[in-house]
Amino acid sequence: MKDNTSIKFFGLALWKWFSMLILIYVFIAGWLIPLNPGIIKVAPESIKAGESVVLEVTGYNSSFVSDTAQVRAWLRLTGDTVIKAQHVQVWDNRRLTASFYIPSVFPMRQEAYPLTLILDHDTDGTSVLPNAVFATPAENQNPAEMALWFSDKVEHVHVKSGIQFPFRNILSETIRNTYFHVPMWFTMILLFAVSAWFSLQYYRNGQIVYDQKSVALIRVGILFGILGLVTGMLWAKNTWNAYWSWDVKQNMSAIALLIYAALMVMRSSVEDQMQKARLTAGYNIFAFALLIPLLFIIPRMTDSLHPGNGGNPALGGEDLDNTMRMVFYPAVIGFILLGLWISQLVYRTEKLK
Amino acid sequence: MKIRKLDKSYHIYGRFVQMKNLKAVLVAVLLIVVQLAHAEGAVSSDFISSIGKIYVVAGVCLVILITLFFYMYQLDRKISRIEKRYKND
Repeated sequence: MKDNTSIKFFGLALWKWFSMLILIYVFIAGWLIPLNPGIIKVAPESIKAGESVVLEVTGYNSSFVSDTAQVRAWLRLTGDTVIKAQHVQVWDNRRLTASFYIPSVFPMRQEAYPLTLILDHDTDGTSVLPNAVFATPAENQNPAEMALWFSDKVEHVHVKSGIQFPFRNILSETIRNTYFHVPMWFTMILLFAVSAWFSLQYYRNGQIVYDQKSVALIRVGILFGILGLVTGMLWAKNTWNAYWSWDVKQNMSAIALLIYAALMVMRSSVEDQMQKARLTAGYNIFAFALLIPLLFIIPRMTDSLHPGNGGNPALGGEDLDNTMRMVFYPAVIGFILLGLWISQLVYRTEKLK
Repeated sequence: MKIRKLDKSYHIYGRFVQMKNLKAVLVAVLLIVVQLAHAEGAVSSDFISSIGKIYVVAGVCLVILITLFFYMYQLDRKISRIEKRYKND
């Protein structure tokens, strides 16, 4: 938090320039790197087994026209159980129709069979839409058609080269929010952690500056927490269909914010300066101790809409591939530095008073 | 006692007059934002989910930038007030 000793450039500490540069990079790369081609919509949604169907497929960022003969399509039941499209007709870059014959018998018995649509194209690579269509069982079943399920395989698929973010069904472009929503929480947690550290320092030394520093960090931490909550609600409305789904992580982060808000209320109700500082330090350390189970343990113990809960952390697999890491980690560093910068300004203002 | 009270209210009013223009601008911006939010509610999912829901990302970025800038604005005002007090002393 001390600015006197650091190396300066145009009168501003280097790490502050660094945070600005990183955030500029994050905003540019996070917005401009294109998404992988994907499938947005398939119509009709439900089909009948034992009949021929024509599926209208709407692609995203796709370029079907570039090599019309090379577009292949499959409907997958499970694993290698697939049927290949008999004919694929490309209309434009984003629209094609694929005709399938759905066999009247299935390898297993269910009330309805969810089928995954797979497209492969040498310029776009492979696109997958899980549960694209639901097939209902046929009235007249012909056991001889069972072989159709195993006659084709999804093979010789292409991978699109170049730098792009993964296309995820439902999320689509909002996958970019990973660089703006998630770092808010990382920043909040780090600011609260540093604040708890200063509270400990206050207990050890009893100097009022540590109290001022920890309070400035809490203030900005709450700001970033509220930002995380609001951006999360906006994102949730458009992907989970509700601003607030009473998801465990939503609830716990709201509780954590309320705990810190209560700290600020309690602080303003105490008149004596020393008592105020001592109470704040004690409360702050306990609040941070509570933050860890609230944000890291409880969400992992139950099911959650957030990725990576009910088990493993979220920073892996399809939710965060290597291209996304190149933007996500700088975003986290940039927003943390920005948070520290703002809290330093708040602290210096408080000190002047 | 009465004079002090009057003084205080005058003080607040004086600050309000100073900040009047900025406040008007701020209120206008907030109104526009609210209007836009309502408009989005009316047009609803079609606009928001167009171009792969990119407007959700735009909204998230705007929320972050507007909030941070507003916070900086308030901080700036606080510092100006302190500077003024220093000058008067």
